[in-house]
Amino acid sequence: MNPEFSGKVRKEIEKIVARYPQKEAAILPVLHITQQEFGFISPESEKLIAGILGIKPIQVREVVTFYTMLNREPIGKYHIQVCSNLSCSLLGAEKLTDYLKEKLSIEPGQTSEDKKFTLSLVECLGACEQAPCMMINFDYHGNLDKKKIDKILDGLE
Amino acid sequence: MVKIHIDEKPIDVEEGTTILKAAETAGISIPHLCYHDAFPPEGSCRMCLVEIEGLPKLELACSTQVRDGMKVFTKSEKVVEARMGVLEFLLAEHPLDCPICDKAGDCKLQDYYDEYGLFESQFRESKEKREKKDKIGKSLIHDEERCILCRRCVRFLREITKTQELGVFERGIHSRVNIYDLTPVDNNYSGNLAQICPVGAITDEDFRFKTRSWFLKKGESVCPLCSRGCSITIEYHPGFSHFGVPSRVYRIQSRENQEVNGFWICDMGRYGYSYLNENRLDKIVINNKEWNIKPTWEDVSYFINQQLKKLDEGKKTSQTVLILNTWLSNEELFLIHKIFKNDQNLDRIFFADRPQAEKDDFLLTAERTPNKKGALEMGFDIKPANPEALSDKTGLLLVFGSFLAEQINAADFKKALEKIETKVLFTSHENELNSLFDIVLPTALIPEKGGSLTNIDGKIQKFSPVFELPGDSLPEWMMLADLGRKFGTNSSFYKEFTTPESILKEIENEVPFFREQK
Amino acid sequence: MAEKVLTQHFGLNNVYQIDEYIKQGGYEAVKKALKLKPEEILEEMKKANLRGRGGAGFPAGVKWGFVPKVDKPKYLCVNADEGEPGTFKDRYIMSHNPHMLLEGIIITSYCVGIHSAYIYIRGEYEAVALRLEEAISEAYDKEYLGKNILNSGFSLEVFVHRGAGAYICGEETALLESLEGKRGNPRLKPPFPASVGLFQCPTVINNVETVSNIPQIILNGADWFTGKGLPKDGGTRIFGVSGMVEKPGIYELPIGTNLKDIINKHAGGMKQGKKLKAVIPGGMSAPVLKADEIDIPMDFDSLVNAESMLGSAAVIVIDTGTSMLDVLMAVTKFYSHESCGQCTPCRIGTSWINKIVKRMAEGKGSKKDIDDIVRLASNILGKTLCPLGDAAAMPILSIAKKFKKELESRL
Repeated sequence: MNPEFSGKVRKEIEKIVARYPQKEAAILPVLHITQQEFGFISPESEKLIAGILGIKPIQVREVVTFYTMLNREPIGKYHIQVCSNLSCSLLGAEKLTDYLKEKLSIEPGQTSEDKKFTLSLVECLGACEQAPCMMINFDYHGNLDKKKIDKILDGLE
Repeated sequence: MVKIHIDEKPIDVEEGTTILKAAETAGISIPHLCYHDAFPPEGSCRMCLVEIEGLPKLELACSTQVRDGMKVFTKSEKVVEARMGVLEFLLAEHPLDCPICDKAGDCKLQDYYDEYGLFESQFRESKEKREKKDKIGKSLIHDEERCILCRRCVRFLREITKTQELGVFERGIHSRVNIYDLTPVDNNYSGNLAQICPVGAITDEDFRFKTRSWFLKKGESVCPLCSRGCSITIEYHPGFSHFGVPSRVYRIQSRENQEVNGFWICDMGRYGYSYLNENRLDKIVINNKEWNIKPTWEDVSYFINQQLKKLDEGKKTSQTVLILNTWLSNEELFLIHKIFKNDQNLDRIFFADRPQAEKDDFLLTAERTPNKKGALEMGFDIKPANPEALSDKTGLLLVFGSFLAEQINAADFKKALEKIETKVLFTSHENELNSLFDIVLPTALIPEKGGSLTNIDGKIQKFSPVFELPGDSLPEWMMLADLGRKFGTNSSFYKEFTTPESILKEIENEVPFFREQK
Repeated sequence: MAEKVLTQHFGLNNVYQIDEYIKQGGYEAVKKALKLKPEEILEEMKKANLRGRGGAGFPAGVKWGFVPKVDKPKYLCVNADEGEPGTFKDRYIMSHNPHMLLEGIIITSYCVGIHSAYIYIRGEYEAVALRLEEAISEAYDKEYLGKNILNSGFSLEVFVHRGAGAYICGEETALLESLEGKRGNPRLKPPFPASVGLFQCPTVINNVETVSNIPQIILNGADWFTGKGLPKDGGTRIFGVSGMVEKPGIYELPIGTNLKDIINKHAGGMKQGKKLKAVIPGGMSAPVLKADEIDIPMDFDSLVNAESMLGSAAVIVIDTGTSMLDVLMAVTKFYSHESCGQCTPCRIGTSWINKIVKRMAEGKGSKKDIDDIVRLASNILGKTLCPLGDAAAMPILSIAKKFKKELESRL
């Protein structure tokens, strides 16, 4: 199945590409849009993006595999990214990670059976004053404890 | 000009020269892996770090330009420590493949460890496991574990062929070079990748497991497979003559020549060397038993001489037909021109060559012979041979080369030959048509003789013998000079032609084009 | 005259909206700057001794002065990648007062002759990026951006460009590569970005906090700015304190404030029942200080003399209940994950050290491992293509040396 962008998205992409003197520079914004639309970057998406920016698909994959936030495979509806860096570790991130592993019955890097949650360990999120913290999709949640985690996850549909 | 010191040695170099190149001119070699003259400096292997007086950090020799008064040290304690550090890092994640790796003996990592390392491994962890036998091109195998990520291959495909089949994926220690979507490296220059890879990460299937590089001797030559005349190095095993094991060519590599091919050769030239090894003719063959000629050059040349004299005296020189080819060297074409066109006034001179084919937009020419321009400048009219050419009364036919079969249909050719009295073939290879000739003389291939060729741009390229002539083969120029001497009317002219150089000197005097090129 | 330079409006209702910001005196600095000559602004910036707030501490005025007068477009890249572990100050600036940053961008661009600016913001800060986009849109509406700003003849376009998860893209040349649409591999220097930068054109790259200081410098003058800090190190810093303290958060304080005071006076001291063991003073790349080494003024030079660095002024406080082996693990895990992989020592060295430390954490280590770690880290230090190698080697060396006994005891 070949992915395609809607007219509205194509217009948005055109505006973004116009911000740079070289089309290739728009690759990260376009990849973010692609991931928003399709959830991940498939090989077909790579070819689609390459066509729009006038580059080769191999260049797209070189970029995709460099950056941590770009997914090459579909993930769950909610991507729970727990910070495992220093300040969060100092304040108990490991215990909370274990709790999440138990609660969701998955290991970091895996997606739950119902495809609702994907659990990942990430590096510093830049919210150290709220350690320990996690990012679900793009929402930051800090000052976590088991109760707070329960409340947050219960509130996700 | 700029005055600097490297290892206390004073050197004068042009402004803008890098330390690496400046050191080279002074005979000092600084180890490097990712740097290659064909590309701008990459600076990622960190092998070429050197110490510059007055600077706190070590700097890269490959990218730092010299400044007047600079003092560089390539063997100071700090430099040696850094070098060993880089080697240690590379070897830590490098598989112990030397016993089964084709690059052994040719490998920069081995060479540098030998010269600057010789330490025991301190790595006690698990090495990264990767793909080890990825077929990434028509003749290329990629081993991700051996790869040191110098990215020469990626840069080559991006900047030279502009086809970009290889890319770098993932990040950090997981970085790997590979193709995309199983799309192989599919261009006419893929073989260069195995050559520029400093280690055995990209190896050539054509060479895989066949021999060891330290058994091979190397000789410089010129590629004859098209009109570009790329500079090449022929790598061959000299064989064991005592045991009757013949020498064998194993590999052709490109050789730098900034006036012709830069740093590269095409795959056709690189892999098309089987003709050097297979089906050689190395004995004089006398098929016509009636004439009672001994299979020696003395006898055969005397016989040919007699035929030429007979026709000349009987004013029947128009019955001589020559079929030449443009693989013949400048020297050979010159002699033929002198003996047959000038002295004998023959005009039934034709050419049978390998057919033209597609050229590409880089090195490969449409002409698939090395000396067409040489023939033209020598004064020949390149008329293609055809059966009609032989249909007029032909008393003596001299054919040079085995390419007739590619130009004339075998059946037509057989018919035409039947009517010819005397047929002599000068060829290097066994061929089914050889039996149609009365006399077959074994000739030398370009790596077995000396001489010169003129490439498509008019550049005259000299070549010298790389290995010995097989059996009774003789270079054409030698046979022709001898014929010239024996033939009579102008024999003294040919007396001095005992080397290809002496012939070229004469060409430079006589032939306008060659005189201008001098 | 404001007491603070950067955070005076934080917390005021909706100051991220342009009307509220203007009520607080916003965009007056732009109006003043556009009436000055660019050379005058450059002089004032050099006098102010504003050193880069991203980590390297290079004087901003000097950096701007390196841009050659050539007939090529020039670019400004604002480094909002904020990846240094422990750092979150730029997030605060961009969320609470994006217009202050925009003002700084306009004045910088006017001074250097730049007409296109990109804010390279880390991919995780999506909400912050949206806030920036809104602020930019408001600025365009009020003609503080776009063509012929306030009828001065000066034009400027500003765009937000989101990263996608790579700490290395905070390094200025890797940022350029990433912005150009490639893998974030740092470039060889020379040439420097000031002459060959974005799209091969002269480029200024400055950190968010650095640029955000500029409006107040223009309004109040260089002497006022240096008066807030030290003569050679002007202004204040936003210190980001995290770890085992009572009140983690941001604290804008004069450069030269004592680290002891930052932890005990401002951040509320150690968390209840915890005792101080070590402090990382300037983000994870800064060599660690022991508990008896924290009586030190927080300015660039003092920390260099103490063999550490001010870096991003991110203070991470470690308690005696934490194992330094765990701290070391967090460090090696981070740098090996973030190494771009381009150059040999960093690519292989950070991974090798990480493998050793992991093995030590599993109880399979030996004394020799600690010596090996020091040796390998020394082979990375000063030998890599970009500063990430140094950023990895320095903390590893400081922990392995200062806490050797503890690491040995945990074998």
